[in-house]
Parts: sequence; C-alpha cells; structure tokens
Amino acid sequence: MIESELIQGLRNGDETAFKYLVENYQDRVYNTAISIVHNPEDAEDVAQEVFIQVYRSIHSFKEESKLSTWLYRIATTRALDLLRSRKSKKRAGFIQRLFGEDNEPAIEIPDFYHPGVALDQKENAAKLFKAIKQLPENQRIAFTLHKVEHLSYQEVSEVMKTSVPAIESLMHRAKQNLRKILEKDMR
Amino acid sequence: MNSEKNNKMDQILNSIDQIGRVEAPNFFYTRLKAKMEEALPSESGVRSWVFRPAFAFAALLLVILINAAVFFKGAVSDKVAPASETEIFQSIASEYSINSNLTYEINQ
Repeated sequence: MIESELIQGLRNGDETAFKYLVENYQDRVYNTAISIVHNPEDAEDVAQEVFIQVYRSIHSFKEESKLSTWLYRIATTRALDLLRSRKSKKRAGFIQRLFGEDNEPAIEIPDFYHPGVALDQKENAAKLFKAIKQLPENQRIAFTLHKVEHLSYQEVSEVMKTSVPAIESLMHRAKQNLRKILEKDMR
Repeated sequence: MNSEKNNKMDQILNSIDQIGRVEAPNFFYTRLKAKMEEALPSESGVRSWVFRPAFAFAALLLVILINAAVFFKGAVSDKVAPASETEIFQSIASEYSINSNLTYEINQ
C-alpha cells in the first residue's frame, strides 16, 4: 500500500488501513519505546498510546513529513512523558518517606537488558543503557534513534524537527557525556 | 592501566552497534483494539445504543403517546363553552381593581 493511500484510508476510518499501519509500524514504535522507558509493559502501553493518537489525529497530519517520522515523534514524546510522570511520582514518594508517611524501603530498579542485544554484549549494553538514561532528553532521543533504531542523522533531524548539524552536535555531546558517566561508574 | 580503562569504555560504547530491533509482543493488535474500544466508547457506544430495537420501539411509543395526549387534550378543551364578553370584562376589571360599575356602563 502506498503511503498516501494508507493515509487516505486512515482518514476514511478504514479498519484494513489501520491494521496495515499497526502491523507495519508496531515493531519500530515498540523498539523505540522500550529503548527509552526500559520496561516491556510500559513500552507496550506507550506503543498502544501512539497508535490511538494516530487514529485520533490523522486528520491533522499535514503530510509535511513521512508517516514513520510522525510515528517516531509521537513515540519519543509519549515515552518521555511516561518517564516524567514516573519521576514526579517517585519524587512525591520520596517526600512521603521523608516525612514518615510511608516507611517502606525504596524499590531498587533492576538493570535493563535490551532484548535486541546479543548475549555476549548483555552486561556492557546494560551499563550503556543505564548511562543513556542519565543523558539530557534531547541527547538521549538523538542517541537512541541513531544507535538503536539505526536512523540516519537526516531522519533523526526530521523526527526532532531540527537540522543535521544540530544532530551531529547532539551526538557528539551525548558520546562525551556517556564517557564521563561511564568513567564515574568505573571508579 | 589508562588504556585498559579506555578499551573497556569503548567496548561498552560499542556494545549496541549490532543491536537488533525488538518485535512488539504477540497479539499486540488485538490488545490495541480492546484498549481503543475502552478509550473511545462514546462514538461507537452511542451509535449502537441508538440503533438497538428496544430503544427504537420505546422512542416510537413515546412519540405516539405525546401525539395522543395532545389530540385528547384539544378535544376536551373544545367542549368547554367560551366565556361571555361580560365575564371577560369583569375578570379584567377585578384583576386591575377597576370599579365594576364601569364595566356595567360599557355594557349599557
């Protein structure tokens, strides 16, 4: 199915078109989500939310970018939103514990093992993903889309609505920061 | 020592170079559809409810009852004799506290 036909089908509320969209893009959306949220259940929730948003707002999609670009943009935004809401809940929980309302010990977050990583790289990749999580949001998204989803700098720049040199700069800073974080962990 | 550390760091940084794409869980579409039906019930819910035979029959009955009520009320009110002109004048006069003689004079 050509992309314009697919978009038209989605706008007409055609279920076959929607099923085609989900079946062709679910892995990309899910892989992006799991690489950011580091949890399979949360990643599935994010992926579902992405397709629901596409279903709801396909009429406002202006076709200035590819459908996949739009999907990546929604997926990264949704994943970051989920992390932000988790962070604020965690902060509220910390304050509660501080004032003695809840004396339960904090739950240790286990290391994230990305299912797409080869077995011999499992431990190293877990360290890397832990470090990626500490990067600023824009560096994290650029690094994840380029390194995990294997998007080109051009494609990443379209998803993030910025220029290619800006992505090059983000990637450079991301690598520098990752080195600093890993160095600190290795001490 | 330092080069060993750098080597280790490079190994970590390059550990995801050969990373593969993770597939979405099985039955993703089925679960998505179920979630959508939950999240978007208003549209499909109202439509199915309106076209349910019980609702259509009840609506039709209500329309017939309203029509019947209007028809019979009209028939009853037609049977009441119209008030005479004097009675109308007297009722207006009493409402606005006007002397009833005046109405009498008008009638004369």
